[in-house]
Amino acid sequence: MAEVTLDGVRKLFGSVTAVEDFTLSISNGEFVVFVGPSGCGKSTTLRMLAGLEDVSSGSISIDGRAVNNIHPKDRDIAMVFQNYALYPHLNVFDNMSFGLRAKRLPRPEIESRTHDAAEILGLGDLLKRRPGELSGGQKQRVAMGRAIVRQPKVFLFDEPLSNLDAKLRHKMRAEMKLLHQRVQTTTVYVTHDQVEAMTLADRIVIMNEGRIEQVGTPDEVYKQPASQFVASFIGSPAMNFATGVINNSSRKTTLETHSGVAIGLASSHVAQDRRVFLGFRPEHMQLADVAKPPKGHISISGDITVVEPMGHETVLTCDGGFGEIVGKYEGEKHFRPGESVYFHIRTDRLHYFDLETGIRI
Amino acid sequence: MKKQVFHDTQADLSFKPSWMFSRLLIYSVLIVWAFACLFPIYWTITTTFKAAPDVMKGNIVPWWDFTPKWLGLKSLGLSPNTIFVENTVREEFLKRFWNSTIIAVASSAIAVALGSCTAYGLSRFSYRFGFMRNSDISFFFLSQLILPPVVLALPFLVLYKELALLDTRIGLIALYTLTVLPIVIWIMRDQFGSIPVELEEAALVDGLSLWRAFVTIILPIALPGIIAAFIISLVLTWNEYFFAALLTSSHAKTLPVMVASQTGSQGIAWWSMAALSFAAILPLVVIGIILERFIIKGMAAGAVK
Repeated sequence: MAEVTLDGVRKLFGSVTAVEDFTLSISNGEFVVFVGPSGCGKSTTLRMLAGLEDVSSGSISIDGRAVNNIHPKDRDIAMVFQNYALYPHLNVFDNMSFGLRAKRLPRPEIESRTHDAAEILGLGDLLKRRPGELSGGQKQRVAMGRAIVRQPKVFLFDEPLSNLDAKLRHKMRAEMKLLHQRVQTTTVYVTHDQVEAMTLADRIVIMNEGRIEQVGTPDEVYKQPASQFVASFIGSPAMNFATGVINNSSRKTTLETHSGVAIGLASSHVAQDRRVFLGFRPEHMQLADVAKPPKGHISISGDITVVEPMGHETVLTCDGGFGEIVGKYEGEKHFRPGESVYFHIRTDRLHYFDLETGIRI
Repeated sequence: MKKQVFHDTQADLSFKPSWMFSRLLIYSVLIVWAFACLFPIYWTITTTFKAAPDVMKGNIVPWWDFTPKWLGLKSLGLSPNTIFVENTVREEFLKRFWNSTIIAVASSAIAVALGSCTAYGLSRFSYRFGFMRNSDISFFFLSQLILPPVVLALPFLVLYKELALLDTRIGLIALYTLTVLPIVIWIMRDQFGSIPVELEEAALVDGLSLWRAFVTIILPIALPGIIAAFIISLVLTWNEYFFAALLTSSHAKTLPVMVASQTGSQGIAWWSMAALSFAAILPLVVIGIILERFIIKGMAAGAVK
């Protein structure tokens, strides 16, 4: 177990900047998830942490020791790869105990540690099999076993669940969380799946184009997204946005959208004439029968274009006049495309972002 | 009353399962091909036991077309009644055989060792040599095969004379290593290219140095490719005639040169040439059969995903 610190880390591939000014301090036993779209630099950062990529500038330290120039084998880390990277010519036992044998540990200790890990991962009966004779989920567990037996200072996961089908991924996610609660090893986990990030992480690092957009607990990034990018990335279905100019001049505050539709805002802390993104989440939109909103709410109307019944809820895609909005209705009710609907949203659930910089206002 | 609802169309009626036919076709093609491959070997072996008229008449089936005689093996001193008698031809033959074996095995082994390292470097690291990048360097190696060996004949003769390498095994080993190296590099580069880089990365994180990762993880997985490259090198170097005839005279002469020199002034001694040819292909057949089982494709299958 260890603390991990990254200070001003930067990575260049030729003249292309992959990671820029990455500063983060991960405390002992913390589960940190790097999330972002592909090409955002999250995997590159993880690989620098593992020592598989050189650091162009800045410093990385594990357990108080600067590791910039230390070979991966001496960093005492374990990594699980997206494609598992099991050694095809070795059986499950040899795959899992490979790191221990490389360290030349005594045979009985290798045996007991490997069997313990196999027990935890439910691989006890498969120890003699080759990777080619395992299912995807079993391979994934062997890859995790290879990391667990080492008892390293830090676990690094590079999209470990993305090759599994949705059902298995869901199950493994819960099991990984349970595993972390039990072993309490500092973990850095890379994924492009925001649901995985939200469910697993103690803290989420959201990256975009090589830079950190926001670092925070799942609750913080959901409730207080630092930028329009974070707001649109976290949450499913994604947050709705209307772009326009704030108008405080008349008696009421409105958002004059670019298409000409004005959205009435009860009040706003945003200055006059500021160009903004107005964001609101589908799950915060309450379906209403009347246009007039109750106190502390705003009202948005739209015509239904697509109805997606999910059983316990219905996702409604609507044309709001200023663009597409997606709303959720929990409960059983039938909708038809073309129907006009009203949504009421609490004003404290509205998010404002600067139109140029995307930064939260 | 039950009335049929769904009916066969004309297309359904004319449909016939095709697997029987395709299976039959595949097997007959394979049988024809196997016959084409094996017949020359059969002809060579039987010719060993034929007298000159039998060869000329094209007799093929022993005890029916012709009566087998020990002619071929006797000329080499290997027939039952000559094998325990001192025989200069047999000694000559064994010497050439031994030369061929040493030269082919040594040059193939060196080429595979050097070529594997080169190919590994080319598949895993980025090099820059002047304007050349990895793919250019690979092509440069392969392009050496385009040059006809005849062009090199005179330069090599002069070079080897100066270096006192004429008529030495070392000389031929060095030259053969050079000639098969491009093919080995090409095969091994493909082989290493098919092994995911994550395997080494996992080994590095697991506590191995790059060199140990190469030896303990990558080499065992690349074994099928290594064996394939070794067999191809062996076949090429074992059969090589041009440079062997050019650069050797008495001491380091190889089997192909001896086979070719059987056409004497009194006509061709078919039986003895056939016996020599058979002796020349036999080792390759045996090695092919032994090593073939190691060339299992898809060893790396299951490593990822």
